[in-house]
Amino acid sequence: MFSFAPYVVKGLWRHGMRTFLTAGGAAVALFVFCFVGAVQEGLERLTSGGDADRTLIVFQENRFCPTSSRLPQDYADTIRKVPGVKDVMPVQVWTNNCRASLDIVVFNGASPAQLRKNRGLMLTAGDWSTFESRHDSALIGANLARRRRLAVGDTFSIGDLSTQVAGVFESPVAAEENLAYTSLEFLQYTRGLDAAGLVTMHEAYLDENADPDTVAKAIDETLAAGPVATTTRRKGAFQASTLSDLVDLIGFAHWLGYACVGLVLTLVATTTVMAVQDRVKEHAVLQTIGVRPGRVFRLVVSESLLICLAGGVVGTLVALAVLAWGGLAVGAEGVTIAFQPSVSLGLTGIVIAALTGLLAGIIPAWHASRTNIVLALNQA
Amino acid sequence: MALAEIRALTKSFKKGGETVVPLDGVDLDIEKGDFISMMGPSGTGKSTLLNAVAGIDRPDSGTITVGGTEVTKLSRSKLADWRAEHLGYIFQTHNLVPVLTAYENIELPTLLVSMSKAERRERVELALEAVSLTDRADHYPRQLSGGQEQRVGIARAIVMNPTLVVGDEPTGSLDAATSVQIQELLVRLNEELGMTILMVTHDAEVANLATRRLRLEGGKLIELNGRAANTGNGRKAITAG
Ligand SMILES: Nc1ncnc2c1ncn2[C@@H]1O[C@H](COP(=O)(O)OP(=O)(O)OP(=O)(O)O)[C@@H](O)[C@H]1O
Ligand SMILES: [Mg+2]
Repeated sequence: MFSFAPYVVKGLWRHGMRTFLTAGGAAVALFVFCFVGAVQEGLERLTSGGDADRTLIVFQENRFCPTSSRLPQDYADTIRKVPGVKDVMPVQVWTNNCRASLDIVVFNGASPAQLRKNRGLMLTAGDWSTFESRHDSALIGANLARRRRLAVGDTFSIGDLSTQVAGVFESPVAAEENLAYTSLEFLQYTRGLDAAGLVTMHEAYLDENADPDTVAKAIDETLAAGPVATTTRRKGAFQASTLSDLVDLIGFAHWLGYACVGLVLTLVATTTVMAVQDRVKEHAVLQTIGVRPGRVFRLVVSESLLICLAGGVVGTLVALAVLAWGGLAVGAEGVTIAFQPSVSLGLTGIVIAALTGLLAGIIPAWHASRTNIVLALNQA
Repeated sequence: MALAEIRALTKSFKKGGETVVPLDGVDLDIEKGDFISMMGPSGTGKSTLLNAVAGIDRPDSGTITVGGTEVTKLSRSKLADWRAEHLGYIFQTHNLVPVLTAYENIELPTLLVSMSKAERRERVELALEAVSLTDRADHYPRQLSGGQEQRVGIARAIVMNPTLVVGDEPTGSLDAATSVQIQELLVRLNEELGMTILMVTHDAEVANLATRRLRLEGGKLIELNGRAANTGNGRKAITAG
């Protein structure tokens, strides 16, 4: 099979520019494909998994943006008494932008001790003690640190809010790495927020066997008697509904991914058809020498496969690199979706490129292998 | 039994309303070591016959048996395998693969049959030597003259030491001087390497090199006297032995 490798490679080289442009097209398309895939994976991670299913978010009824939800902080004591609730963490949320944005910065203010216990953060720089003792210090997510180029000791200001970075953390929940944590009081007393005694939401952690939906209902019923009515949902459902506009958009974007694959298919198929038409006589000569029709078929398919795979691998790797180093996230209303590279994404990209390459070659390869040798030899 | 036996070969084409019958019951025996030339007016069916013998075209009826194999019965893939091992085809134009060097072009047929690297190398080098192009092994076709290209094409046809070599006007697109070179080469292949050659030509001078001369006319083959018979120098006996 590989004895004809020099023939295939040199054949691709012969039309270097055409090969290069086609591979380039495949690279761009696979780049977009992987990017769209990363957004989708990010969304899936956000709305599924343990954190999304076993945590409840208590929000003010009919409010969506964190700036408009205001719940009494002492609701925490009431919620804690609801059966099935293990712990409650009051959280103040502050964001620089309530609309959909690619550079959203979301602060969560909560008790440092509770944060440490409930969020499973791993510090890659800095330490907890500074964060716990210094009033205006913040822990920032690794993604945010990358995007904003922040290190421990830096001062980080957005609008009226100014904090000092006490640590950089990684989290098992990718989207968390776009957050900045401060103490609850710090955010409550930030100028303009004026939220003494108030919080944006309460995060309720469930007992081992508690049913999340039953507990959620119980919480809302209990708090219905209080001054502010609430809506309690699983964190995943809460995030999905908060991001509903984006979810629609992302759902649409996945068609974009498929469109890219279709584009590569036609592009590589066109190039392969051209390459075959250029070489009708050459393939007939090969068959006259004794090359089997099946081998001619494989030679043509391996050409389209190589072009597509070369471009696809480059596009996929570049996409993964950008995702890894860019620290990109899209967010709205205080919830963010992290774009992250993943092994499955890379593999999907490469497999898609390979399949597309194979598919693109099939028809031209079939033609090349079935042509009438004598007629093809008589071509000028 | 002759090396190749062609029996009752027919082939016709429908052209518009009328039917052309280039081969109308052709019979021919080719003996090992024969150097056969075939002439005839344009459009009589010489190429059609040659291509059927080469196994790249199928007759309507009749049989062709080469070295005991009935090639007219083989499937497309089996036919390809048979050509790889037993047939050398010299084209009118060299038809070399432009992106491969002379060496790589000649090597192509050897890649289709399993053999050691060393044997492959040796065969290609022998073929290069036979066409006196050892010093041009690494040249690409565009770096060679027309005559050199044709010689590489011939080397590619003989590298597997095939049972039968066919050529469709192998000197047809060369100038007079180059044509002479190729003619000498063909005679040498036949006399020194004992190759069996069936060649179509329009050039009487080229045809006269052959040990047997045929003429295709009206769908039938007519045997004329070859050079060996004319001169009576016993050349045929030498090459056959
Ligand atoms: N595929 C085909 N379809 C229709 N007619 C064909 C086909 N191939 C050959 N012919 C016809 O068959 C006849 C013989 O063709 P062939 O090419 O064998 O002639 P030839 O003797 O080799 O001629 P020349 O000396 O010009 O090369 C011609 O009349 C040709 O037009
Ligand atoms: Mg002809």
